[in-house]
Amino acid sequence: MGIEVKNLTKEFSGKKVLNNISFRVEDGETLGVVGFSGSGKSTLLKIICGLLYPNSGEIITSPKDADIAMTFQYSALFDFLTVFDNIAFPLTQRKEFRNKYSREELKEIVAQKLKIVGLEGIENRYPSELSGGMQKRVGFARAIVTNPKIILYDEPTAGLDPVSSTLIENYIVELKKELNASCLVVTHQLSTIKRATDKAIMLYEGEIVYKGSTKELLEGANPYTRQFVSASIKGPMKIKTL
Amino acid sequence: MINVKKTLLYRTINLLWTEINDFLITLGNIGKDFLCVAKTLTTLKVDKKALIEQCARFSVDSLPITLTIVAMTSIIIAMQIAPELAKQGAGNYVGSLSALVMVRELSAIMSGFAIISMIGSSYASEIASMAVTEQISAMRVLKVDPIEYLIVPRFLSGVVMMPFVVIVSTFCGLLCAAIISNLTAEITYLNFISSMWHGLFIKDIFVALLKSSFFGGTIALISCSCGYSTRGGALEVGTSTTRAVVWSFVAIAVWDYIFASVFYL
Ligand SMILES: Nc1ncnc2c1ncn2[C@@H]1O[C@H](COP(=O)(O)OP(=O)(O)OP(=O)(O)O)[C@@H](O)[C@H]1O
Ligand SMILES: [Mg+2]
Repeated sequence: MGIEVKNLTKEFSGKKVLNNISFRVEDGETLGVVGFSGSGKSTLLKIICGLLYPNSGEIITSPKDADIAMTFQYSALFDFLTVFDNIAFPLTQRKEFRNKYSREELKEIVAQKLKIVGLEGIENRYPSELSGGMQKRVGFARAIVTNPKIILYDEPTAGLDPVSSTLIENYIVELKKELNASCLVVTHQLSTIKRATDKAIMLYEGEIVYKGSTKELLEGANPYTRQFVSASIKGPMKIKTL
Repeated sequence: MINVKKTLLYRTINLLWTEINDFLITLGNIGKDFLCVAKTLTTLKVDKKALIEQCARFSVDSLPITLTIVAMTSIIIAMQIAPELAKQGAGNYVGSLSALVMVRELSAIMSGFAIISMIGSSYASEIASMAVTEQISAMRVLKVDPIEYLIVPRFLSGVVMMPFVVIVSTFCGLLCAAIISNLTAEITYLNFISSMWHGLFIKDIFVALLKSSFFGGTIALISCSCGYSTRGGALEVGTSTTRAVVWSFVAIAVWDYIFASVFYL
């Protein structure tokens, strides 16, 4: 088992953003998380990686201190470091890796990760000199540089062109196999759900309204997923302006 | 019926309460960050490269403005006192008085002000903008302690470099005072220098260095801490920077008072 989320509840100033959520993701499995904007998907990922505390419930990972990586919705690259230093950051700064790699080895690792995301040769640029989609892919490279066992992707393909999206989606699948990692992919893009995930959950108003296979999500008769997939205004879900 | 919530008294109390609350939270954050920094320091593991980088920034980057401010202050003081003292026949005391004022008080406090405006504000705003763009969260997810990576080198650079900044600025200030005294009151350089040593004790120099070290550490810690606890967006980055500057000013004034009463009362 990779991650188990049990009865998770999170409130922001009295408003329940996640209400008693439970699910599990096995090793070598990818779970897609979909739902409207503001339904608490990013919040869920932040709780899993320990950036936010839940009001109640627990997160169980195996192994207990598993290396959890996360890509951020808005990249969160260190803007005072070059692309090279950004990607090498965990390897040069984290206690367990410090001084473990020589400069040459680091160069090789970073070049290899950049190749994966299709951005060879931009090591010396600063994040502010990259487009949004390029920043996103650098963020992806930085997250996976330590070969983590649990990977959380917050909208890895949002804002990317279709070809780059496919590149990332393929790599999510490949990496999962290679590391036998458990992954969570938060996305609004059906293509990403379809290509990169094995099963999926859908959040609405803090609750899980769908839990099952990706195929079923895309083709099944659940009224919530039907509405989502067909992008219809009519259905059980209403967009609220809060 | 009057609406209680709209009365002036209610709003005043409410505002006062918010201010007190803010004050306590800031104080708590600074205290907490200081403990974290202290805990890291006890492990004696400091990233040397980052430390050197920050030291260079703290001293070299701030030096032009620090020197200007301290030099101007001492020039003005010399301009005011040298002719007066010379008129009274006390020209021999210009050097010692200048040295006393500069070494005991003015160089450290004026350098402190310069450092707050140059370095403190930039520490606060850069760390605050990292906080609001989730860079600090990203650091935590990558299992790198942001306190250790960001705050410890800055704090240490303040503690170590501030005495150097103060030494350089004191020399510069006294040089300016000597020149001005010579120009305005015809006090010879030799006279100025020999008189300088009469006014000063080793204790003064020791206290000045210790005090500047405290100033440097305090400015760096408060600035980093105010930046680190920022939540929100561009507006809050501005608020945090202002808060860092104001708190640093007040803090060094308080330190100065404490040092004066402990060592000179
Ligand atoms: N720090 C916070 N303080 C207060 N409320 C918050 C905070 N973070 C998130 N929220 C609220 O929690 C809800 C969920 O936010 P979250 O960012 O998890 O949404 P999301 O599903 O990721 O949306 P999107 O698809 O737009 O990224 C939103 O209504 C938001 O207003
Ligand atoms: Mg989100």
